[in-house]
Amino acid sequence: MVDLKILIGGPQGGGIESAGQIALKAFVLKGYHVLGSREYQSNIMGAHSYYLVRVMRRRPRALTLPVDVLVALDAESVLTHFEEVRPGGFIVYDSGTANVKASTIAPMAKPLKERLSEFFGRRGSEPTVSEALKVAEERGVTPIGLPMKQLLRRVAEATERPLASISRTVNIMGLAAGLYLAGVELEYVKDAIVAQFSAKPKIIKPNVVAASMAVEHVSELHEGLPRLEDGPLKGKQLMVATGNELVAMAKLVGGLSVQTYYPITPSSDEALYLEEHRYFELNDVAKERLGLEKMGIVVLQTEDELSAINMAIGAALAGARAATSTSGPGFSLMNEAISYAVTVEAPILITLWMRAGPSTGIPTREGQQDLLHALFSGHGDTPKIVVASGDHLEAYWDTIKALEWAERFQTPVIHLVDKYLASSMISIEKREIEPRGYPIMRALKTDGDLRYKVTEDGISPWVPLGSSTMVITGLEHTEDGFATEDPVARDAMMEKRRRKMETIKREIPEEERVRVYGARDADVVLVSWGSTKNPILSAMEALEGEGVGTRFVQIRTFFPFPEDTVSRELSEAKTVIGVEQNLLGQAAFLVRAFTGYRVRHMILKLNGRPIFDDEIVYGVKRILETGEETVVVRGGS
Amino acid sequence: MARSFLEYKTDAWVQWCPGCGDFGILNAIHRALAELDIDPRNLVVVGGIGCSGRTTFYVKGSNLHALHGRAIPLATGVKLANPRLKVVIAGGDGDLLGIGAGHFVAVGRRNVDITVIVFDNAVYGLTKGQAAPTLPSGVKTKALPGPNIQDAVNPLLLALASGYTFIARGYAYHTAQLKEMIKAAISHRGTALVDVLQPCPTYNNVMTNQWYEERVYYLEEEEWDPVVKTPEEYRRKVPLIAAKMLEWGDRIPLGVFLKDETKEPFEERLERQMPGYMDNPPSSRPISVDGYPLADPWKVFEEKVVKKVEASY
Ligand SMILES: Cc1ncc(C[n+]2csc(CCOP(=O)(O)OP(=O)(O)O)c2C)c(N)n1
Ligand SMILES: [Mg+2]
Repeated sequence: MVDLKILIGGPQGGGIESAGQIALKAFVLKGYHVLGSREYQSNIMGAHSYYLVRVMRRRPRALTLPVDVLVALDAESVLTHFEEVRPGGFIVYDSGTANVKASTIAPMAKPLKERLSEFFGRRGSEPTVSEALKVAEERGVTPIGLPMKQLLRRVAEATERPLASISRTVNIMGLAAGLYLAGVELEYVKDAIVAQFSAKPKIIKPNVVAASMAVEHVSELHEGLPRLEDGPLKGKQLMVATGNELVAMAKLVGGLSVQTYYPITPSSDEALYLEEHRYFELNDVAKERLGLEKMGIVVLQTEDELSAINMAIGAALAGARAATSTSGPGFSLMNEAISYAVTVEAPILITLWMRAGPSTGIPTREGQQDLLHALFSGHGDTPKIVVASGDHLEAYWDTIKALEWAERFQTPVIHLVDKYLASSMISIEKREIEPRGYPIMRALKTDGDLRYKVTEDGISPWVPLGSSTMVITGLEHTEDGFATEDPVARDAMMEKRRRKMETIKREIPEEERVRVYGARDADVVLVSWGSTKNPILSAMEALEGEGVGTRFVQIRTFFPFPEDTVSRELSEAKTVIGVEQNLLGQAAFLVRAFTGYRVRHMILKLNGRPIFDDEIVYGVKRILETGEETVVVRGGS
Repeated sequence: MARSFLEYKTDAWVQWCPGCGDFGILNAIHRALAELDIDPRNLVVVGGIGCSGRTTFYVKGSNLHALHGRAIPLATGVKLANPRLKVVIAGGDGDLLGIGAGHFVAVGRRNVDITVIVFDNAVYGLTKGQAAPTLPSGVKTKALPGPNIQDAVNPLLLALASGYTFIARGYAYHTAQLKEMIKAAISHRGTALVDVLQPCPTYNNVMTNQWYEERVYYLEEEEWDPVVKTPEEYRRKVPLIAAKMLEWGDRIPLGVFLKDETKEPFEERLERQMPGYMDNPPSSRPISVDGYPLADPWKVFEEKVVKKVEASY
């Protein structure tokens, strides 16, 4: 069984991202599925960031520690991650940093410096790179020093380029050495470098030379892990994409024609990727049928989120398929307009990339704290659809479905996706994103011209602006849209809103709104939502191996809430454990609100790092042993 | 003339106070639309929240009543989705220059082909007379507990700084002149501002009809040519225009201050970026063929597909 884990750490702006992507590409070319994740800080240059890569024959479901190989491009990376390498693994580091003390690393977080001082103080030493490596060595890890300075000089000579222009290849040297130790032949690293830099051919050569020299150097020091055999997907083309990118792709495929946004992490990468592809080439069938070569999507950066959502609403009311995307602080600004969208019955999609709050919080980190906010956003009674995706491909398909739901039910749809999905990437096969079996069509009901007609199913005829004289207002209105405060007309509209929710509940099947995995007779039922899905599925396999049977209820839509299934699954279970990355246990709170069932145990993660599968295993076992109500897991640096 | 202004009236009860300046502006809008012969189905009046925003209900069109302050982005969304529509914003000074001031600036930067009519009564009418952003400091209107201690914003200068390509100021009771300004603004291709000074007989007991009538005059009475045809002419004329816009006191100029024909409207920028946008705008373009998407993701997003590439380096 292949299960390789590699961590590449270094300063932001130091090529960590491209090193990580090259690693993913090398493994894909070798025939494996990959999962990669970027952990970074709210900073442009200098702060510590890292890339985690996991490689398996089937798609990895979760990240986990410890890793097999740590590539530490600077002293801070050694001192941050030296305990995250398994016995038998390797740490590649710059031998020139051996004497660096933690106290002299300016960007390093103070609390970490304090923890390090305390740790090394207990051993009677000081926190330096070499002391950290000693600790790792005692645990069976092999440190491999790369004399970066000398190697750089040799690369400069070999390529006949100035040293300054070569210094940016440090990341590739570290990576190539690390991949060699992980059992990957240099050939694949070279191919990955070429693939990565194909748009910048000038920098291919120095990077390839740097990789070769680094590998030449390490191979004399150590033979590394056994050479990796070819994976099952060798020769097959895979795509590697982040959740941000997949959602953008789904918007294009799903027929979106207007997207607005105001920059905010971790949502803007989605809008920017869509903007890059806003004028796209049609496929052959569409070319022939429409007589056009290309089609456009208006993607617009607005002055703020108030504008972003109001503009999307305006576009939708005029007939466009419209969406906006944002994160917590921006979503707060959108609140008033969500209420407006509900009242005027605007079909819009709001993609809400959750990050760790409260307030600006830790803006580049993982969190699942906006569920209640999304559900209860908007003043007044504001029924809407709230759907949360569990993984990258769910995020892709849910985007396509949400665009259709918004139209079919003339309602805002809030699509919750978390930061972990935004900036982690997976390998994908072609068929997985090929729209099959899910027709893409306009879903606006057009059976009349009374825009706010009171109907049996709560859905009124759709009349776009510009097609007839009318009025649309956020004030309460009569069927023709004109403002009214009449009590009878008011009741009719309120009841229509209720009936619309019932229709939504009836028409989106329960199987779509909740998914249940695992053995029917399991003693333990896990309840969760969002990106914890795959780590939970992975943990369930491990628990099974240890004789603990589990079942997993993944809630996907919170409005309308899948009461029947959740209620049935939980009431029959012996032990129910919620798994969430927020303080309150927001989904558990909603389970109680909608079903009356109280989830008694919680595994929570709050530190802004994605949850690992082994943390879930640990949490479940701990709860079963001790009966504790809440276990907070704390992995990741 | 193909249509009568009566065709632009609706049967909704007009709920403004007797003598309100809004009546004059509404009248001018009805007449301007009739003279331009605009099909009400192609007209979108986007109203703000306030007494003035009620205009949405009193003009026959395919209309939208926005949130307080958000008429501009809402209207921009409509226009981007369907660039064939005529979009006119009717909002208060509080709405457009207070809570919505950010959008007032942004729309000018884009030069979207939209007309913004500011109902400038210097007070928050609907919330019972608080100071609006255009109320000069030191003035104490009826509902204020003391003289205003915040300075007024100059809507014309703000529009100039923001890139509006048509800037005019009218007076609510001079319906004939106002009608002409509104016609010119709607006909102009780009973002147009018509700032309409208006008495609020209920709450603004300082800036009354008499107060205005004693001060206002028209730019045409002097020599004034607002048209700018080249960037060079723009640089030359802007200081004069700005100086005129600053004039406020015993004499208050009315008329078209600027008509800038040098800047491309936003719709044309989009057409340039994505040829075909005007023919197949977002509101009506196909999204699929027989339920199948228009594009193949594996092809459009090919750069994400990991492939061995042959390269010599
Ligand atoms: C977000 C929000 N804040 C406050 C209000 C209350 N409000 C309604 S109208 C108005 C002011 C209107 O003044 P103006 O825009 O000048 O219009 P006028 O009534 O003078 O025509 C305010 C503050 C609101 N509707 N929404
Ligand atoms: Mg006002």
